[in-house]
Amino acid sequence: MDLALAHGGKDSVALSRRSPVARDDLEQVFRAAYPRVVAVAARVLGSRDEAEDVAQEVFLTFGRSDVPAGEALPWLSVAAAHTALNHIRTGKRRAGREQAARPHEATVPDVADAVVAAEERRRVRAALARLPRKQAVALVLRHSGLSYAEVAAALDLSPGSVGTTVRRAESALRKELTS
Amino acid sequence: MTRHPNDGVLRRLVDEPLGVADTDREHVANCPICTEGVAMAQKDALFTAEALPAEADVDVDAAWRRLAAADPGRAPSRTRRKWRSPIIAGAAVGVLLAGAGAAAAGDWFQIFRTERIAPVTVHQADLMAMPDLSSWGDVEITSRPQIHPVGDAAAAEKESGLDLPEVAELPRGVTGEPSYQAGKRISASFTFRAAKVAAFAQKQGETPPTMPAGLDGSSFRLTAGPGAATVWSSKQGVPSMIVARAVAPTAYSTGVPFVTARDYLLSLSGLPADVAAQLRRFTADGTTLPLHVMPEEMTSEPTDVGGAPATLLSSSDGVMSAVVWVRAGTVTLVAGSLSGDEVLTVARGLR
Repeated sequence: MDLALAHGGKDSVALSRRSPVARDDLEQVFRAAYPRVVAVAARVLGSRDEAEDVAQEVFLTFGRSDVPAGEALPWLSVAAAHTALNHIRTGKRRAGREQAARPHEATVPDVADAVVAAEERRRVRAALARLPRKQAVALVLRHSGLSYAEVAAALDLSPGSVGTTVRRAESALRKELTS
Repeated sequence: MTRHPNDGVLRRLVDEPLGVADTDREHVANCPICTEGVAMAQKDALFTAEALPAEADVDVDAAWRRLAAADPGRAPSRTRRKWRSPIIAGAAVGVLLAGAGAAAAGDWFQIFRTERIAPVTVHQADLMAMPDLSSWGDVEITSRPQIHPVGDAAAAEKESGLDLPEVAELPRGVTGEPSYQAGKRISASFTFRAAKVAAFAQKQGETPPTMPAGLDGSSFRLTAGPGAATVWSSKQGVPSMIVARAVAPTAYSTGVPFVTARDYLLSLSGLPADVAAQLRRFTADGTTLPLHVMPEEMTSEPTDVGGAPATLLSSSDGVMSAVVWVRAGTVTLVAGSLSGDEVLTVARGLR
């Protein structure tokens, strides 16, 4: 149904059925954490559009949860990393959109570079997907700015083993991507 | 000398050295093997940081609107996103197909003016199959509605130039002071491109029907709005009821006989046969705007509001209802997490 007809598209007044969310602090948490959550997913996926889809999924889930606001960021970050990795594993892609978006990326000056960049993204995604899940998540979280203690708490690891887990993941990633 | 710290400790020295015990730090400072280990860890960390870049440039406001509008029963899927953006195109094709009549030479000529809205049933699968207008030509949105909050009803009315109707009595469960929104006029144009039509058909493995003379390069323009809305929010900040009013859509042509464009669009593959048949029925007077209704999600029934023919839409799960009607060139919508009877009562009681 085109409820948006009179006003048109994404700028339209949003009319939802019963609230998708059950918490009063969702908007506040969303505004504070959204860029970070997108960044986590983008590190896995190499695509901002796809990462924003993941962030939406994650916030919808968060909205229905009773995770305390004080623990929101690590919770959201872990969820974003897992959801993004799931996207790779289930082969979810928006190839068409990426194709369409690529020529507009200012950082990609020509087609040859675009092809190289896309191939690079594909290889990184594949390499991440091959890592043990805990390693991949720890790696992404640490590179997204979570402290060792936060990564440890989020993944139920001892703080001492976070460094080991991240180290193994980085070593494996480099070997795989430079081989 | 103390024992060598493990790889994890060496890694932590790279980016969180304060988290490493003093004894370990001292050991590493004096141990060539561990110093080399830290250097390797640093190299791998740097390599990884470069391999996992993240653009941070996001539009948080737009993302929040998307979340607030998301259907709770369904995560925002790629499909939804894909179809949301060309909604203007969708509306435009609706007007193009439903409109009728006048052919004129020269300048923009009004070919359609919404006086009535009628539901057209489009199954979700059909909607997926239906190509958007950009497969057949150039779609350009020349002005956007830029819907934004305004301070009060007077401001909304001033911006839109419309009288915002007042609700006589709020339905049960809708409470509190409403907020107001206003939006500018939206304008979109569509230009037929024979090359695009041919390319699209080829991709489908088909040969397109021959394009009538003069159609290639001819343009159509759709305008709608400005508009304004009164929005009551639930505790969670999501609208529980909306009363919206906007200048109804109007379409213009640069001159090709409208019936030519319509028949050609209808003859192209991609438009489900039953939708095409339904749309053909509306073509007589150029005043009926088709409203897509997905029977999987909504049911529709004709009704009336203050003597004007209206369409009542109800979600299949009974959670949401909307009634929409057109009078004197303006379209009015009452919608909410309400029953059909409730939205109708509100609509009929508007002052």
